[in-house]
Order: sequence, then structure tokens, then C-alpha cells
Amino acid sequence: MAATTSHQAIGSARECHSSFGSQNGIRKLSVKMVSKVFGVDLRLISRKNCCSKSWKLGVIHASRSHSSVVDPVQIPSKNNSSNSKKKSDETALILIRHGESLWNEKNLFTGCVDVPLTQKGVEEAIEAGKRICNIPVDMIYTSALIRAQMTAMLAMTQHRRKKVPIFMHNESEQAQRWSQIYSEETKKQSIPVIADWQLNERMYGELQGLNKQETADRFGKEKVHEWRRSYDIPPPNGESLKMCAQRAVAYFKEQIEPRLLSGKNVMIAAHGNSLRSIIMYLDKLTSQEVINLELSTGIPMLYIFKDGKFIRRGSPVGPSEAGVYAYTRSLALYRQKLDEMFH
Amino acid sequence: MAVTTFHQATGSIHTHGCRSSFGFQNGIRNYSVNMVSKGFGVDARLIARGNCCSGSCRLSVTRASSSHSSVADPVQIPSKNNSSDSKKKPHETALILIRHGESLWNEKNLFTGCVDVPLTQKGVEEAIEAGKRICNIPVDMIYTSSLIRAQMTAMLAMTQHRRKKVPIITHSESEQAQRWSQISSEETKKQSIPVIAAWQLNERMYGELQGLNKQETADRFGKEKVHEWRRSYDIPPPNGESLEMCAQRAVAYFEEQIEPQLLSGKNVMISAHGNSLRSIIMYLDKLTSQEVISLELSTGIPMLYIFRDGKFIRRGSPVGPSAAGVYAYTKSLALYRQKLDEMFH
Repeated sequence: MAATTSHQAIGSARECHSSFGSQNGIRKLSVKMVSKVFGVDLRLISRKNCCSKSWKLGVIHASRSHSSVVDPVQIPSKNNSSNSKKKSDETALILIRHGESLWNEKNLFTGCVDVPLTQKGVEEAIEAGKRICNIPVDMIYTSALIRAQMTAMLAMTQHRRKKVPIFMHNESEQAQRWSQIYSEETKKQSIPVIADWQLNERMYGELQGLNKQETADRFGKEKVHEWRRSYDIPPPNGESLKMCAQRAVAYFKEQIEPRLLSGKNVMIAAHGNSLRSIIMYLDKLTSQEVINLELSTGIPMLYIFKDGKFIRRGSPVGPSEAGVYAYTRSLALYRQKLDEMFH
Repeated sequence: MAVTTFHQATGSIHTHGCRSSFGFQNGIRNYSVNMVSKGFGVDARLIARGNCCSGSCRLSVTRASSSHSSVADPVQIPSKNNSSDSKKKPHETALILIRHGESLWNEKNLFTGCVDVPLTQKGVEEAIEAGKRICNIPVDMIYTSSLIRAQMTAMLAMTQHRRKKVPIITHSESEQAQRWSQISSEETKKQSIPVIAAWQLNERMYGELQGLNKQETADRFGKEKVHEWRRSYDIPPPNGESLEMCAQRAVAYFEEQIEPQLLSGKNVMISAHGNSLRSIIMYLDKLTSQEVISLELSTGIPMLYIFRDGKFIRRGSPVGPSAAGVYAYTKSLALYRQKLDEMFH
């Protein structure tokens, strides 16, 4: 199977390479690289990068990585303290952009206004959950906005490991005290959920709540286009993409990356601009490249963090699709354990 | 139609089924009363020992037929004169209470309290079903607890609302949070329903029982002690709240924050938990501590009250829109529903 795997992947990689040559080209270059073996379906639309060397390296890793990788499934056992566990060689990082919100539906600039999901957005979240139901999740980070939080919680209703996401509360001493859990066993079956404003959508200032017509009337079409599409020009009293990226990436580096380094598998549920900012950091994109990056809503993006590097593995397909395999050997082992646990 | 409604309702009240149960002072702890009136579509799922079939029910029938249509139209259809200052205050407003559905720890049978556990898929469906029942009842403001299961319940329920106003969660945790959530369009603000999250509406805090299953608690504390904490009014579990303490902060919040909104003419929905809601019901229905202990509010089934002349009139649980014979509970609710029908057909 390993032989077939490398063959298929390389075959696909070659297809990608031809498009790799198009340096200048259409703004949104769609690259579909569906590998039957890996079930990889790259919905990330970008100008290049999806088919970098790291992908091929990823294949080689998969066939070589040995099974001494610590089993990320924390099946309750006597020796199951996180201190004594050997650090994993690799961890999974899942990014999910929330689906349709009530203001998306009405075509209003949303930014940091805390608008909930539509029924369609709810369904998108559940579908996203089906795609990641076999990928380990030890911690969840969301923005302070309900649409991202709901997306995470709805997605996790589909997860096969059946651990329970629990929102952390430290807004006050009482909040912290009141949310205490008094059973070690229960804590082990919990996934801490941390909500922070640094993962919020880009703040859109005086455009928030306006529809396209109103903004064109109030500010002029070109100005609005400039704010939406430039890297560093903020709308009045708002953030530029650069400002958004600054606080989102800083947060990722300070709070999230250490978790990945310590062996935790992490899921981030957030927004178009905060996630593309993080992707800019993960994939080392330029500001020009990040402007053209569009992350599909409700389609999770998987990265493998290994040896301090982020390897993009595209978007996991739904569990019902044919030919779904893991992206690395440890993910394959994890899935196997889930199958054993529940069948 | 008014005549038919009145007749039907009166006919239903004559059903002595309810009256006879009123006499049961001592009796089974959870007394289930079904009062389905084809005229009003009232389905009182509230399980209580007395109270469901009080005189107030008939009184509200009388009010419905005599209340005049000068009651301010609760539907805020954008118009030139649509400022809440110039509007005449409505005689009555609606208060909806929703208890969230199944959470992941309910499923695992663990004491939850204030641990912030989300809904299961079943809890999600319960919330959507609840939304279908209230989709024709005006909502101007929403209050939730600070726990995600109540917030999600409210947001999921509102995806079903026919008025299509947009719930917006207000943020006041910091100056930046407030600034960042500003809306720059008056028109958009008018189509918004502010959502306020308050810890005072949280579930009763269960202290050292939080996260334990029934076996663990029995082992750690003994079965009788646990039973006492769960069923008494004023005995708290270790480092936790008694029902009395929960009621104290929940009712205080209701009186200080929510009741003034109702008085000023706002229709309010509260999405919260078993203990915080029964505490509020204790206040609305003037129950004794003995009565509130026996009160069980069904999950995912909204409870409607009409607030009028400073009084709370319980109107039971709205039925789903597809159920036959669904009418409004008061004339203004009937008018509101009519306007919704006109807007969308």
C-alpha cells in the first residue's frame, strides 16, 4: 500500500506542477488535487503553494514514520497522565471557517458584530464536523463571536471520540470558580475550549452593519474596494488586514503553537480574515498572496505540525466517501483505534 | 372568529379534568396536566402541583375579546414614525422562557451545574423545534445565561422566527469589545434583537458535584446527602449553591433588568436552565418554596407569559405552527401573526 500511495501522490503532484508554472495568472487559481489514496480535496483557492515540495515530503513521512508515535487517543488507563506521555512526533491542526451568518444572508458587512449562523450555516458546521470526525482534537480555540463558537460545537457533535468540549471561563474569579470540574476522570474526557477576541474577524469599523449600496453611497465604490482588497489600508475606525494579521498571528504563536509543540492536537474555529492571516504564517505567504487567498466556508483545512514545520494536507473528505485514508500513519492508527472502540 | 375563539376556550375550561386535579394538594410529586384547547392551541407542559388551571386562564379569555386594537403594533415595520419614543406603549408584552435541551453531560449523566458544556445533536434539534413553536410571537430582546448551551438554544430557535430580525449578542466585557461591536447603520439596528448574556441566569452552581456521575457522588458523599442537596430548597452542596441562592440572584436579575424592559413595552425571550427558570417562575407565579421544588420545566418546550398591567399571566406552551387550531393567545398576538402573514405571503 505504501508503494501505491507514493505512486498515486506523485502522479497527482505532477499535475499540480504544471499549474505551478503559472506565476501571473487568474487571481483565483483553483487547484484540485484529489488523490484517491489520501482523499485529499484541496478547496483552498490560491495562486500557488498548494502543491509545494512539502506535500511530497508528507507522503514520504507517512510511509516512514514508525509507530512509536504516542497514541493520541487518550483511552483511560492506569498510566494515562499527560506528564508521563512521550511527546508526539506530530500533531494535527484543523482550521474551520464558519458558514453562513444572518448578515451574510442579508449582504451586510459584519466584521466584529456578533451575528449568529443561519440554518444553512448550522448545516455547514455539521458537515464540517463529519469531515474531521476521525481526526484527534485535544484543544479548541475560537474567536469571541458566537458564529465561530457554534460552528466548533456543532462540528464536535459529529466527532467519534466522544470527548466533551468544555468552554473555559476566566472573565472573573467567580466565573473560574463556578466552572470547576471535580472529577479527574471527567476532566480527561474533556476538550478545553478557549475563546479569544484575537481570533475575531477583522474589525470593519464604520462599515459594520452597512450594505453594499449604503457603503458605496457613503464612501464611494473605489474607496470601499480599496479597504476590502488592500493589505494595509483600514476602513474608518477599523482594522486593515495587516492589523488583523498582527494580532491573530501573535496570538497563534504565543498561545497555540506551544500547545502543538507539547503534543496537543488543536482545532481553530474562526473567520475569513483571522484564518487567512494564520495561513499566511503557516505557509509563509507574502501580503500579495494572502490577499488572493480565499478559504471556503465550512470546509476544514488540515495541517500536520511536525519538527516545527507546518505541512498543509488539504481538506479531509467526508467519512462516506470512497478511499478515505489517513494523512499520516499516526492518523491512520488513531482512526483504527476509533473503529475498535466503537465497533 | 372572535366568537368562535371565545366559545371554544370557554368550552375547554369547562372540562373538569383540570379543576379536579387542582384539589390535589398532597399528591404525586410530578403532576402532569394536559390542557389542550383547540381554540388557543394552549398546551400546558408545565408540570406543577397546582396552578395550571387557575382563574387567570378564563380571565385572559375575557380580555382577549375585549382588548381593543389601539395596542401598539409590536411589529416594528420600518416606517417614518418608527421611533420607540413616539410609539404608544403596548398594553401587554410577551415573555417567553425556554429551557435548553440535552447537553453532552446530560447524555453521560454527569452533574453539570455551571460547567460550560455544549448541546448534543438532540439538544440542537430540540432548540430548533422550540423555535418553530415561537416563530409567530414577537421578540424584541433576548436574555441568556453565560453558558453556551443556553446561547446556542436561543440562536438556533431564532433561525425559525418569521419576523427575520437578527439577534446580535452585545459585548460589554471591555471597552474594546464594546467599540468593536458597533453597528453603523440605523436601519440595521432597527432590524436587530439585542442578546444579553448574564451569569445571573446560569444554572444553579453545583459545587463539588460538578463533573461527577451518580455513582461517584453516592460513593463520595452518600446517597441521602446527595438526594437532600438535589431536592431541598436551602441546603447547598459543598462549595455550591442551594436552590434558594440560585433563586436569589436569578430573580433579582429578572426584577432589575428584565421586568423594566417588559414594562417599557419590549417582548422578551429568556433562554436559560432548569433551576434559574424555575426560580423566575416561582416569582412570576408566586409559588412557595415547596411548590418550586416540585416544579419541572420541560426541556426545549417554550413557556409563554403575557405581561399586562404589572401582572404575569401564564399562557402555557405554544404549539408548533403545523398543529391544527393554532390561534393567538391575545388579540395583539393575533394581530402580530396576521402582519407576519401579510409580510411574507
